[in-house]
Amino acid sequence: MTFLGLARRNAWRKPLRTLLLMFCVAVAFLIYGLTASFLSGTQGAAGASDDLLGVTNAAGRTLPLPMAYGARIAATPGVASVAPMTRLRGYVGAPKNVVAVSAVDPARIADVNGREFGLTPALMSALGQTRDRVLVGRALAEAQGWSVGQSITVTAFQMAKKDGGRDWRFEIAGIFDGESASTDTYFMLASYDYINTIRARGEDTVDAFVVRPAAGVSAATLATRLDGLFANSAAPTRTQSEKQFLEAFLRQYADIGLIIDLVVGAAFVTLMMIVVNTMVFAMRERTFETGVLKTLGFSRRTILALVLGETLFIFIVGGALGLILAKVGAILGGPMLGLVFSMAVLVWGAAIILALGLITGLIPALNAMRTPITAAFRTR
Amino acid sequence: MTERPYIALKGVRKGYRLGEQAIPIFADLNLDIPRGDFVAIMGPSGSGKSTLLNMLAGVESADAGEVSIGGARLDLMGEAARSAWRAGNMGIVFQFYNLLPMLNAAENVELPLLLRPIPARERRARVERVLDLVGLAGRGKQYPGLMSGGQQQRVGIARAIATDPDLLLCDEPTGDLDRASADDVLDMLRLLNRELGKTIVMVTHDPRAASHAQRTLHLDKGHFIEERRAA
Repeated sequence: MTFLGLARRNAWRKPLRTLLLMFCVAVAFLIYGLTASFLSGTQGAAGASDDLLGVTNAAGRTLPLPMAYGARIAATPGVASVAPMTRLRGYVGAPKNVVAVSAVDPARIADVNGREFGLTPALMSALGQTRDRVLVGRALAEAQGWSVGQSITVTAFQMAKKDGGRDWRFEIAGIFDGESASTDTYFMLASYDYINTIRARGEDTVDAFVVRPAAGVSAATLATRLDGLFANSAAPTRTQSEKQFLEAFLRQYADIGLIIDLVVGAAFVTLMMIVVNTMVFAMRERTFETGVLKTLGFSRRTILALVLGETLFIFIVGGALGLILAKVGAILGGPMLGLVFSMAVLVWGAAIILALGLITGLIPALNAMRTPITAAFRTR
Repeated sequence: MTERPYIALKGVRKGYRLGEQAIPIFADLNLDIPRGDFVAIMGPSGSGKSTLLNMLAGVESADAGEVSIGGARLDLMGEAARSAWRAGNMGIVFQFYNLLPMLNAAENVELPLLLRPIPARERRARVERVLDLVGLAGRGKQYPGLMSGGQQQRVGIARAIATDPDLLLCDEPTGDLDRASADDVLDMLRLLNRELGKTIVMVTHDPRAASHAQRTLHLDKGHFIEERRAA
């Protein structure tokens, strides 16, 4: 037997109570794991880079920028490459089945972030064979059940064609995987020329330019320089890192991070109240035994460590179970829901398990530690 | 030169407060017990037997006076030092055994050994030895709830001697046992005293239990009023 074994045996003396506590802990950490994975993976924010810059219209990201800005941006010192991008949002089949098409210059997008998207030469070659071809991200393809060679029709919410219709037909040329699990692949890449030629309005404009700074150039400095370039023009720009861009995009709807923090915080506070209450009650039941241990020579510190060890045991087992379930959930529902159970989610989860285990154990542990032996023996 | 007694209480004063009221237990208690003695302490309820045992165990401290055991001044020690002293120098046998119900007999005996820097294998060997000594060889896996009172008290004694302490304190060790089991336990205590040289201080109400000791001290109202030696 070891001290850890003793703490474990103490925890298991009432198996139902311990299992219910572990269940509570597991549920709380499942909530944490899923929400943190959502936050980590929302629209690829986890995989978004701090180095890539997005240049949009300062008056609003839905307003266009002239295509001609691209040449001036490319000529700016510190810019390694630049790619124009226009977003076509619409649905396939039912209106709730929303998809996004990024209309890009294939060669330039491969230059700027072909590595992050996993755009191989073979994929780029397939895309360039006819103008109506698209490359579909793995997450979107799996969610929709699409395969290479299939024809799909995207009904645009706003972008009309010159013939008045809003149905855009594409042929799937290939599927890109993204560099890592955290890369957003829930969208399609289409040819800018194809969309620009057919659309009814906004010809030769773009929604954004994606810019890769040259090696050694600070993204923040370059962003300021680019915005300064167009400060007095008809369409001033706002340049942000890709990460800032995506986070700002999400904040258009709500501060999702804050909402998630509040939900997870409420779950953890409730959990702490349940565990503290139960552990205080459990230790009160065992006050006499604490007195016996102290009589045998167990010091106040050892008693403190035993109770903390017991709560840690409950948190580690329950928390690990919750995080494993969250990981499974992220694997099963990740592509559809944008869940990314990243290493950061795991590390934070482990840190929270340890912190909550110690914090919740502290009150019952201090009570047990401070109870004099004679007072403990009077509780029989 | 006379040898210093193993246990020496000098001018010990101890009392309690009950609200505004001060309740004195000992005003000036003196006691000498040589090493290897087996002493029974008898007396009516409220005479101070349990308080005396608690002070000898370092569970309670004296308000004034000296409490010295084996040269260690318990009255000068803080709580942490007294815990460490208990872990290394003393074993205690309780009236109601006080075994932990979720641990089996061997694990209960192993408890005080956890506090010593002893490798796990040696701990287990020591547990087997003391269980064998108290006549419970092969019963280590049994849980206290499935044992008789006499067997539980044997486990309690095994736990008390597991660390091989010089001093055994026994608080009514036969108070919850039938006559046959009580005799077994008392024979075992006498064996530990005679064969292993343990110094034993036993608080009891039972004159038959006290008759197993070498010396019986009668305590009343905080004073030793009588001392009898075994024939």
